[in-house]
Amino acid sequence: MTAPNQEELARVAESATLSTALSTTRPASGLALQLDAVQRRFGERVVLDDLSISFAAGEFVTVVGKSGCGKSTLLRLLAGLDAADGGRIESDGRALASLKEDVRIMYQDARLLPWQSVADNVALGLPGRRATVRALALEALAQVGLADRADEWPSQLSGGQRQRVALARALVHRPRLLLLDEPLGALDALTRIEMHRLIEQIWREHRFTAVLVTHDVSEAVALADRIVLIEDGRIALDQAVDLARPRSRGDAAFAALEGRVLDRLLAVQALNPRNQIRGRVSAIRVGDVLAEVEVAVTDVFGNPGTVVSTLTARNLQEHALEVGAEVLAVFKSNEVALATPR
Amino acid sequence: MSANVNWRRGARQLLPWAVPIGLLVVWQLAAQLGWLSTRVAPAPFDVLRAGWELAASGELFVHLWASFVRAAIGFAIGGGLGLAFGLLNGGFRVFEQLFDTSIQMVRNVPHLALIPLVILWFGIDEGGKLFLVALGTLFPIYLNTFHGIRSVDAGLVEMGRSYGLSNWQLFRRVILPGALPNILVGVRYALGFMWLTLIVAETISATSGIGYMAMNAREFLQTDVVVLAILLYALLGKAADVAARALERRWLRWNTGFQPA
Repeated sequence: MTAPNQEELARVAESATLSTALSTTRPASGLALQLDAVQRRFGERVVLDDLSISFAAGEFVTVVGKSGCGKSTLLRLLAGLDAADGGRIESDGRALASLKEDVRIMYQDARLLPWQSVADNVALGLPGRRATVRALALEALAQVGLADRADEWPSQLSGGQRQRVALARALVHRPRLLLLDEPLGALDALTRIEMHRLIEQIWREHRFTAVLVTHDVSEAVALADRIVLIEDGRIALDQAVDLARPRSRGDAAFAALEGRVLDRLLAVQALNPRNQIRGRVSAIRVGDVLAEVEVAVTDVFGNPGTVVSTLTARNLQEHALEVGAEVLAVFKSNEVALATPR
Repeated sequence: MSANVNWRRGARQLLPWAVPIGLLVVWQLAAQLGWLSTRVAPAPFDVLRAGWELAASGELFVHLWASFVRAAIGFAIGGGLGLAFGLLNGGFRVFEQLFDTSIQMVRNVPHLALIPLVILWFGIDEGGKLFLVALGTLFPIYLNTFHGIRSVDAGLVEMGRSYGLSNWQLFRRVILPGALPNILVGVRYALGFMWLTLIVAETISATSGIGYMAMNAREFLQTDVVVLAILLYALLGKAADVAARALERRWLRWNTGFQPA
């Protein structure tokens, strides 16, 4: 395969700066969103329960919550991939479903067509003459820093590069609402931070409304104007993030906010009655680094049993537990593993 | 160093041929030393000579051409129908409901069992042979196309829809390329069935073709020509497979599994 020649790249760079100039002079083009009593059921199970929330035009909202809380379902409704069972999703009086051309989604996996070149993947669904479409695709690829890979197969790219191509594919349609369904979940930490910068920069340039679903609170704090926490299909927290951009993770305010959201997330999880057992501390063993807390519990059939929790000795001090204290043993329902003791 | 590498590469390319060539040498020796009667099997050199003589008289090419044309037309009809039904039934539940059960029933009838009926219907003309070849090639292509369409990544289809592809674009750019590896597997199976069917059809009722040549030679106890015909089938089969692989390499370039090492 041939790489795009210098001349072509130069033209792309030129048109990229031109479009930047255009987008800064243009008024904010993001879609404002109003969700009113939105409901989604799968059979008997209510996944979204009378959810009402508004997003301002050009706002960057992240939706966090534990797995199965309904955050991805919400995103699929916004993308028009699923229909709500009740309620309204509108943008300034128009049903969002009628604005499909203005909405683009980035998935957790890049979902590139393996049989098309990178440039053809980006150009997917663009109307127009082949040369025009290719120029647009190269321009979008230049924005994510991959113009020189335009004529390669997706299989020749790394995971992070594939997600950048997917981002370019979404951008080329000039979306007014960009939905991001945990698009960075599968990337390594360093690539993820790079992608945060890229997404933030592109969002500031294009001023679209962005809704990012993630389970990574630090990612949410790094990118969001607003963090929305969903639990059992309802909004449990709606937190504005007033930190100056670009944000630094080392910053004290950053860490404090991240801690606050995380605590809230964990507290919300602890309220779920399926994943907790009430009991009394029966023994505490403290080692050099780790400590074990033994909790005497009773299961749903009335049988007595023991739950042993391992934690750091330092963490134990913070909790100030003593034998006989009443505690809740809380599990993450999707992280319980069974093992045979040796 | 590089000479050594070249030599090794050469050796690797020759290795698949070691067994067939070895067998031929043993066979020739056995025939020359009189261990093997020429009534049972002729010496390889006799087969070569028969091939040379038939080629020189032009008869060989007449038969080869006749067989090739039958194979090609039959394959085009059967493969085309298989592809069409596979795409329709894979793409639309209604068509699957309507056709799939019937196709599965016909598929399970050994198509060569229809020969007596085919002779009654078509006589011993070309029609019957084309019918049999078409029937033999239809099902492998149908099954693999159907399966290929159904196993296209649903995530890619959903992505295509949400990126505004029309139904035709979705088919052309997502579904068909996604099903293509399976379709080509079907093509390779079908090519095998194509020769098998043709051999049988030509030995039963024909006035030209390699099968006819072999049957005719049997009447005159020309074992060398019979073996020649069998070898020709082997070579034609190999040629068809090479063609199918070439298609795979061309159409599945994106798939790392098909990239030249």
